[in-house]
Amino acid sequence: MNAYPSASVRARRHWPAWLRQVDWVLVAATALLVAFGFIALASAARGAPEAEGLLRTRTLHLALGVVALVVAASVDYRWLGGMALVIYPATLLLLLAVLVGGEARMGAQRWITVGPLGAFQPSEVAKLAVVLTLARHLEVVRVLPRLRSLVPFVLHVALPMILIVRQPDLGTALVLAAILAVMLYVAGARLADLAGLAAAAAAVTPFLWPVLHDYQRRRLLAFLDPGGDPLGAGYALIQSKIAIGSGQLFGKGLFAGTQNVLKFIPEQHTDFIFTVIGEELGFFGAVALLALYLVWLWRALGIAGGARDRYGALVASGIAGMMLFHVVVNIGMTVGLMPITGIPLPLVSYGGSSLLTTLAATGVLLGIRMRRRPS
Amino acid sequence: MTAAPWSPRVARLGLAAVVLFAVLAGRLWSLQAIQGQYYLELSEHNRMRDLKVPAPRGTIYDRRGQPLVSNRAAFTVSVLPMEVRDPQRLAETLSPVLGLARADIVARIDAGRRRPFEPVLLRRDVDQTVLATLEEHRLDLPGVLVQAEPVRAYLFGSLAAHALGYLGEITEDELRARPGYRMGDLIGKTGVERVYDDVLRGEPGRLQVEVDAVGRPIRVLGRLPARPGRSLVLNLDAALQAVAEAGLRDRSGAVVAMDPRSGEVLVLASAPSYDPNLFSGGIRAANWKRLIGDRRLPLLNRAAEGTYEPGSVFKIVTGLSALSEGVARRDSTFECTGALRLGRWVFRDLAAYGTVNFIRGVQVSCNVMFWLLGRAVGEAHLARYASGVGLGQPTGIDLPAEASGFIPTAEWKQRATREPWYPGDTLNMSIGQGYVLVTPLQVARMVGAVATGDRLVRPRLARRVLGPDGAEQQAFDPRDDPIPLAIPPEALRALREGLLAVVEGGTGRAAAVPGLLVAGKTGSAENPRGIPHAWFAGYAPADRPSLVVVVFVEHGRRGGEVAAPIARAIFEAARPMLLTRAAGPGRP
Repeated sequence: MNAYPSASVRARRHWPAWLRQVDWVLVAATALLVAFGFIALASAARGAPEAEGLLRTRTLHLALGVVALVVAASVDYRWLGGMALVIYPATLLLLLAVLVGGEARMGAQRWITVGPLGAFQPSEVAKLAVVLTLARHLEVVRVLPRLRSLVPFVLHVALPMILIVRQPDLGTALVLAAILAVMLYVAGARLADLAGLAAAAAAVTPFLWPVLHDYQRRRLLAFLDPGGDPLGAGYALIQSKIAIGSGQLFGKGLFAGTQNVLKFIPEQHTDFIFTVIGEELGFFGAVALLALYLVWLWRALGIAGGARDRYGALVASGIAGMMLFHVVVNIGMTVGLMPITGIPLPLVSYGGSSLLTTLAATGVLLGIRMRRRPS
Repeated sequence: MTAAPWSPRVARLGLAAVVLFAVLAGRLWSLQAIQGQYYLELSEHNRMRDLKVPAPRGTIYDRRGQPLVSNRAAFTVSVLPMEVRDPQRLAETLSPVLGLARADIVARIDAGRRRPFEPVLLRRDVDQTVLATLEEHRLDLPGVLVQAEPVRAYLFGSLAAHALGYLGEITEDELRARPGYRMGDLIGKTGVERVYDDVLRGEPGRLQVEVDAVGRPIRVLGRLPARPGRSLVLNLDAALQAVAEAGLRDRSGAVVAMDPRSGEVLVLASAPSYDPNLFSGGIRAANWKRLIGDRRLPLLNRAAEGTYEPGSVFKIVTGLSALSEGVARRDSTFECTGALRLGRWVFRDLAAYGTVNFIRGVQVSCNVMFWLLGRAVGEAHLARYASGVGLGQPTGIDLPAEASGFIPTAEWKQRATREPWYPGDTLNMSIGQGYVLVTPLQVARMVGAVATGDRLVRPRLARRVLGPDGAEQQAFDPRDDPIPLAIPPEALRALREGLLAVVEGGTGRAAAVPGLLVAGKTGSAENPRGIPHAWFAGYAPADRPSLVVVVFVEHGRRGGEVAAPIARAIFEAARPMLLTRAAGPGRP
């Protein structure tokens, strides 16, 4: 290879066939999003004593995530579908384990401690597990143009959802609902039936109100009336809007934000990381980030459309739905369009389980693409 | 390529994604391009104030629900560093009004420059005339803020001051050691205010307001409510505490009263005392100098931090070790001839009591008997039993800076003085002289161990933690961790009989209360600093002990004459409580 001075075209021709099948656009979008996250994290944590530790941990998580991505891409995704009967109960057990023996942080019991890697959040992994198993379920059991035919799939998702709500992690539970809706839609469910499901969910919601934790109710109320909220949940929202708005078109420049000193905005390096990007990189930086997500989604949906089989298409669209929901809800929350539900911005927010899951999901996408229908 | 059946639906999903992202981008445009200037002004220009909303500190109650410490409304003067163009001039104007040094004001403003939006505190709890003066000169004082802030109020002044403690501004060292605190925070410096600072302090809130060009608030942008501190219920009994402090009057000394079954501390008094209210708004230099310079050491908590020679009170240890080791029994007889010859030396007693049995020897506090017992047991056993009943070690009470006291051993003496342990040292030790040093609290714990006979409790001031709604959040039960004690029953019986005899017709007669069986031991401890210390350590009712009282009067001369009457006053005041079991100081 070294003998040829003009590089890429020739080199590519010598790549092994499977490497040529890799969706490099998706890989690049993923890498750029991760890079965005690193910069934002470095800025958010700047000056804080824990900054170096956060970056080091992030690097470790990234390394693990890349391994997960490569493994997920190499394994034949159809084999994953065959494992559904193992994956599904294992996920439920893991979620149960969190409730029984998990570690509580910030009022929620979401973590399991795993040795030197620190704490691990099974609800993140559960999202991918639900996509993989629900796709299998939808492959085996047909969706019929009848509302009743959707019930088994609703139950399939409801079980892990209930366990996650109990933690309590309302945001991630809602992600599962979004995954269900998207996958049912792609599987051919009638829009009328999906609307029926939504209506049923809306009808049940008032009964859930007493089950919700105090802070969850407060957040929902704060969304409706942030300025007049006397209980403080509106505080984060206003801070977040001031930070993003003050970035104006071009931003205050990297590491030049004034609002994003760790304490000012709560949970800044996790759920509110977008405020750092909005403040320091401005409208254009924020839109560039959105564009990267759009590219990612475009590739994911393209992979779904071109998948060799129904299972691959369902998995790919489930993953795309998961990403879409995360991005819209997280960014929507920081700009005041969505209630504060506390779900991370995939690939960008600090959080090992989320990064690991999203990279593994990206790997699954790459694997589906490598085994796509011959065009 | 033929389109798969799912393709159209996947494509429509893509369309939905584009629409949703367009909405997000539109919102960003509206926030950043259209309203960007407004938010920028809010964030960078001086149109936003980030104010700390102080959290009211939790109330401290006595065991009967009587509030001892609460808060009162006060005003705090602070300054916004970014508003101050000429700190020197501002300091010049403020210095006489606030009574602060000019350099001090300038230093505080400069220290706050790093966070220019946050007010720097200058003086807490200013009075009405200061407020009026500031209001009058408002236009000449840009950046000066007056905020309402609750200030600690000690409702009974100096009562139980050493147990309660006082507040002070956090120091750099404390700031480093305790995350979550901030410069200018008030923190408990001593007493339960310090030990339970986490419980009492709460979490300050924040208020962000948009202000106009002259700094008047236009509207509230964000609000993070303060979380008030939790309340603390103590085991102290304010009424008994008052009796104890009245008993000490103007003397220096300490009183401890404790339930020997549980370790609940009902009285913890130290005299002379001070008024912790002096510290509430930040103590003035003159007051601080006066307290620190007072040779009677009013800030010293004599009950827990002062170590003193126990004198004859230590005979409880000597008697206990002799009885337990089989060196003496109840009816063993001793010749109290008034002196004991040891080689060339003659140790002299106060008086000759003739032939006594153990009970009589305790009753009259016959030195000769205890010398003989101590010599027979040996200094190693004395030290072992002293440690066994908790002397020479912290009691573990919930107070900071508790002293250990000291129990000497032969090796220690060799090391420290390069002299061997002489038989005379053993004799001195057996009557609580020489090197032995104890705190009144340790003595109370020791007497409690004799009274119950089976446990060494951990004295506790805190009883319960109450949430802001008044519901119990935590209960401290000291009975959970007493150290079990194995004293032979016949040794206990003889010792208790002796202690009862002390009050019934011996040196402790002045502690007797009609209708209540009181047992105890007096002490007059010689010390290198002057007149002997007076001690009384006892318990009641002797048949079912539920209250231990220890009185220590520094240089009070005679335990039986000075300390015992104070103990009597406390037993008398507590008598109704001690006689009605149901309302007794055990856990109701």
